[in-house]
Amino acid sequence: MATHDNTEHVSDATDEAVGWESKLRYFLNSDFVRSAPYWGIPFVLMSIAVYGGTGYNFAISFTDYEGLGTPDYSTLDLEMYAQALSSDAFIAAAQNNLVLLVGFTTICLVLGLFLAILLDHGIRFSEKFQTVYLLPMSLSFVVTAQLWLWMFNVESGILNLVVTTLGFNPVDWLGNPSIALGAVILALIWQFSGYTMVVYLAGLQSIPDDQFEAARVDGASITRTYLRIIVPQLKEASVSAAVVLMVFALKAFTFLYALVGRYRPPNGTDILATLMVRRAFKFGEWAYSAAIATMLLIMALGVIGPYLYYQYKQGGL
Amino acid sequence: MARLTLDDVTKVYTDEGGGDIVAVEEISLDIDDGEFLVLVGPSGCGKSTTLRMMAGLETVTEGELRLEDRVLNGVSAQDRDIAMVFQSYALYPHKSVRGNMSFGLEESTGLPDDEIRQRVEETTDMLGISDLLDRKPGQLSGGQQQRVALGRAIVRDPEVFLMDEPLSNLDAKLRAEMRTELQRLQGELGVTTVYVTHDQTEAMTMGDRVAVLDDGELQQVGTPLDCYHRPNNLFVAGFIGEPSMNLFDGSLSGDTFRGDGFDYPLSGATRDQLGGASGLTLGIRPEDVTVGERRSGQRTFDAEVVVVEPQGNENAVHLRFVDGDEGTQFTATTTGQSRVEAGDRTTVSFPEDAIHLFDGETGDALKNRELPSNRAIDAFVSN
Repeated sequence: MATHDNTEHVSDATDEAVGWESKLRYFLNSDFVRSAPYWGIPFVLMSIAVYGGTGYNFAISFTDYEGLGTPDYSTLDLEMYAQALSSDAFIAAAQNNLVLLVGFTTICLVLGLFLAILLDHGIRFSEKFQTVYLLPMSLSFVVTAQLWLWMFNVESGILNLVVTTLGFNPVDWLGNPSIALGAVILALIWQFSGYTMVVYLAGLQSIPDDQFEAARVDGASITRTYLRIIVPQLKEASVSAAVVLMVFALKAFTFLYALVGRYRPPNGTDILATLMVRRAFKFGEWAYSAAIATMLLIMALGVIGPYLYYQYKQGGL
Repeated sequence: MARLTLDDVTKVYTDEGGGDIVAVEEISLDIDDGEFLVLVGPSGCGKSTTLRMMAGLETVTEGELRLEDRVLNGVSAQDRDIAMVFQSYALYPHKSVRGNMSFGLEESTGLPDDEIRQRVEETTDMLGISDLLDRKPGQLSGGQQQRVALGRAIVRDPEVFLMDEPLSNLDAKLRAEMRTELQRLQGELGVTTVYVTHDQTEAMTMGDRVAVLDDGELQQVGTPLDCYHRPNNLFVAGFIGEPSMNLFDGSLSGDTFRGDGFDYPLSGATRDQLGGASGLTLGIRPEDVTVGERRSGQRTFDAEVVVVEPQGNENAVHLRFVDGDEGTQFTATTTGQSRVEAGDRTTVSFPEDAIHLFDGETGDALKNRELPSNRAIDAFVSN
């Protein structure tokens, strides 16, 4: 900063006197130019990979590009978007996405909060327990998918072992379209509730003991204290955990792909991401898939936008 | 309104190794209806633990805690009808001032909403914070937060107020103002109040009575002036009063107290009160030490001025005996007009009617100062 000011000051004062060589030398010596190799290269790579990719995808979505060959940019229209919005498969996938988004996020938050409160309230030596619950988070989607594939197995899976022991008929967890989405949500919750728990636990532990004590002296029961005093103070933790979970819910593709090892996920669990990949790489409908991708991006922005706005209002940005 | 009684109340913590740590030992106190009692002591003396036991935030290990005739030992904090003001205020950050103040009423009473509303507004009027009702604690200054914390206790109209160093987070000027304000409020409301502080000025100025604690044990309970002029023991003598009492260790040799650097002859009447103890500690308050007057009699000593702390109205003069050890210093307060400077040689005298004598081993007071007019002080002391 000081160097920069100094440079400017000198160039102002001697504007008439110095030639363009000196000006160039000042410019090349400025912090901006000298630091360019450090931020410039990642910046360019980032731009090409992310924003270039996004832009290319956006462009393709207006064409009718299909199969092999190169896209034809002569007629650009919204046909693919119209086609997607009127397709049953798209609507079903969007609905599943919504169920996943809302169901998975809500249950994860509630379960994580519950676990965090138990840990915070009962067991103060919670570090070992934290690890137990956080461990699933460290597994990759592929591992989680395999693990739950075994557990969901109709004949030998542990879930059906429990179900039949209790005297019910075995359940075809992933084969039954009306249960499959629930089963997927269950597996994802298993993986992510540890994360929400840790986020909440950090929030809870930053609340001083005297809040509990003040509420106690004020005559509130433990349950009422949590409901009226403690949980409302976890608003920020909830918001940030929810955003992470929702973004994961939108791109649960990895998990579904790993579950079956092919582009078509179990019936009843098709989401926009799987639909998009299948359409593109199995059927070569590039433009159609690009349109789905754009809509997925808009949905993700729809989740992140309000969060950024919230952060901005809180003075966080 | 109620009378709070502590009967041999003891609190023992068990540490991780299974050992016992006695935090509070057999404290018996009788706090009258409407009384303002200050629990004072250095940090770690058990005063906060005692208060928290009264609040129900800590269990009582032994002894009995009673509100009127009701034993509180097993009663949970929620059901005690006691309000507490926390040192950190513990305001609920997500609730407005109104929300903070009505929470206790909503949880502990079945009052209808508009009555709660009315009571909250009356209380904020009384505290002069009615324009802050819709603000959140984060938008308030320290002093305002402090008032809200007080209001939260007052609005509940409890049997007892407990205050845990409520003024310690305020700056000095505001603290002095709030001291007066708190006393006024407590007087108006007439609610039995227990006030914990480590600040002896607060203890002296605010309480009807002061209970001095040290090391989990009650050292003395009495009016502030009682504790000041007639301390039970060495600890109370040293703790109450600012600057604190000068204490000199020494021994009785014949009819003379021999300290480090000075010999102080004791009169027969004084010696009779000592009961044969030979190890003694002599105490004298800084304001009773006369500095710089002409040498007149045996109880006057040569001294050197080490440091002068001028405060305008008076000076705190740190001195040492010319014949004494370098480290042995004592303090005298002189009027702000008097001219003494560091390095000056002067004389000091300790009037015999102003000295205290303590047993060197037990620390118990053997002789306290005589008061210039016993009648006047007794009127203070015995109310």
